[in-house]
Amino acid sequence: MMKHQSDHSQFNPQVQVIHVTYDNIIIENDHTFFNWKEDTLILDAHPFFEILREFEKNDSSSDKKVLNFPCIHIEDDKTEKICDITLTPEKDKITITLFDYTTKYKDLNQIAQQKNESILLAKELELKNKYLLEKEEFKNNFIANINHEIRTPLTSILGFVEVLEKTKLTFEQEELARIIKRESLHLNALIDDMIDLSKIESGKLKIVEERFSIQNLIDGVHESYSRIAKEKQITFETNVDSNIQEYLIGDRTRVYQILNNILSNAFKFTEEGKITFSVIKNYQRTNKLSLNFKIEDTGIGIMEENIPYLFDRFTRFDAGKRISGTGLGLAIVKNLIDLLNGEIKVTSMPEKGTTFNIKLPFKFEIIKTTPERKKKRYTLPKSAKKYRILVVEDEEVTQYLIMKVLISQGNFFVDIAINGEEAINYIERRKYDLILMDLTVSKIDGYQATQMIRNNYGDKFISAIPIIGFSGRSNDAARDKCIRSGMDDFIAKPFEQEELIYKITKQIAKKAAD
Amino acid sequence: MKLSKKVVLLGHFGVGKTSLFRRFMDNEFSEEYKVTLGVQIKKKLIKFPDGRELSMIVWDTEGHSISIEDTRKSYLLGSHAFIYVFDVTREETYATITKDLEYLKENYIKVPVIVIGNKLDLVNEKEIRSQLTEKNIPFDDLTSAKTNKNVESFFLDLAEEITKQA
Repeated sequence: MMKHQSDHSQFNPQVQVIHVTYDNIIIENDHTFFNWKEDTLILDAHPFFEILREFEKNDSSSDKKVLNFPCIHIEDDKTEKICDITLTPEKDKITITLFDYTTKYKDLNQIAQQKNESILLAKELELKNKYLLEKEEFKNNFIANINHEIRTPLTSILGFVEVLEKTKLTFEQEELARIIKRESLHLNALIDDMIDLSKIESGKLKIVEERFSIQNLIDGVHESYSRIAKEKQITFETNVDSNIQEYLIGDRTRVYQILNNILSNAFKFTEEGKITFSVIKNYQRTNKLSLNFKIEDTGIGIMEENIPYLFDRFTRFDAGKRISGTGLGLAIVKNLIDLLNGEIKVTSMPEKGTTFNIKLPFKFEIIKTTPERKKKRYTLPKSAKKYRILVVEDEEVTQYLIMKVLISQGNFFVDIAINGEEAINYIERRKYDLILMDLTVSKIDGYQATQMIRNNYGDKFISAIPIIGFSGRSNDAARDKCIRSGMDDFIAKPFEQEELIYKITKQIAKKAAD
Repeated sequence: MKLSKKVVLLGHFGVGKTSLFRRFMDNEFSEEYKVTLGVQIKKKLIKFPDGRELSMIVWDTEGHSISIEDTRKSYLLGSHAFIYVFDVTREETYATITKDLEYLKENYIKVPVIVIGNKLDLVNEKEIRSQLTEKNIPFDDLTSAKTNKNVESFFLDLAEEITKQA
């Protein structure tokens, strides 16, 4: 609260003195700043003076008390003042003294204004932040749900296109199937990007520290892009610093995602010339090191004024839009690099090319380590009869697609249950070698059905049936929940036929080995 | 003689006392926050449908930071009603409400206190009503000086109420 002026001599205020009767009529006025006329009612001059009625009401013994009113705004048609006012009741009149402190109060006011404003602004920001967080949560939930809703039909589209491609097609039909596949894959990539970006922005994307072979990662990148370079008839060169340890500790998946995004852009925007991918060690201290990944192309380049916006979402500078892309790739790259505590720099010249320099920190083990295990191959155990698979799925198109894929292998019989309850009825009547369990089926969902199978049967053939969960929710949480509920593996929609067969074969082979 | 009653707006700084004051007195509103220095006083003539008239003198006081006891006692002299305003978005502006109301009740026995939660435009009315009830915060009305929600009706109800006083 403002400190009011109690010592009227301190600031030499201008003073106006007015005498009024107990009927509130002005007897005398020195007119220093308010020119209120004598013989008029002071109550009409300003509503403050209604307080004089207090003196009328009180009896003669108590009304002799002087009243002080600090910091009162008094204004009339011509004058505006901030005054301390003293009302002094006397025998036949009341003396009103106005001390003008307008300048002083206004000076003091600035401090209070700043202090209060900063508190109110902080509250305003807090409210805005709360509103934005609520919006963000809504957006993330929306994306998660739409992801599920889109992936289910997309699984069917991609699966049926693969089935279609294996049939006899005319050249034109082949071309149309190829376009459907390309566009579906593009849509799938867009969903992946949206999910990734949403996870990063909501802080849900966790960076993992795993031991991996950097050489293996670079070889994989080189192999994939050499094929594209050959198709595009451009040169692709990979140079790796031989001083880099073979095994590093870091998030392999995210490093691959970053490199893949930048290289994929380089290949998209380079029609002739060369793309160079170099990896060098910046420094190494105890068990830490920093690598510099440099990707240099001779593509169309970027205008200097566009570079600051390069990592914004949905930014595309190819006005003609001849080149496909979600416009989210570089936004994801920048976010991932920030999460990994790295750095990214871009230099570019239109029509000359672009260079990306990415610095990323890693750790490495000082002790001698064993080499990384390769993906194990599995084959179905030899059997005189076909393996029987129960597919628990309520979507007709997905049922049909899985049946097509499995039956075309020649090794499987397939039964379909449309919900968890029906699945339980089936397994009580028939022996199955494996169950493919959709997680969101009705009545009893995939998790509950699995727990019932694992816990409620003394018959080991039933309780130990390999179960693979599948869902449009392609996140680690869904995978972990599957494993926790007792499933043996998880496959995300849309799945590659090869991966589906690999996982089924692996589980049947493992069961047979047990 | 025309009936005249004094009403004082009280409450923490930044809760919108001046905005309510300006909205009711002049039907004006400004987004800009300006600290009130001391006290501003205005008079409004209220005409009731039955022909009665009331001259309502409203004192818009400078907001307090900690306790209502900081408010100058001379400002409260001769009051016929107190309007205690809090900001529905800032808990600290109603955290001391029970204590403040007790203080007013003890020192100004005959003066009714009406409690108003302002800035309703910034929150969901249903949610804030249930939150305030849950926290046992007493309030008579919720207003928005910005949108003019419940402002006019609140002051007119108050005018009706205070004219009944002896």
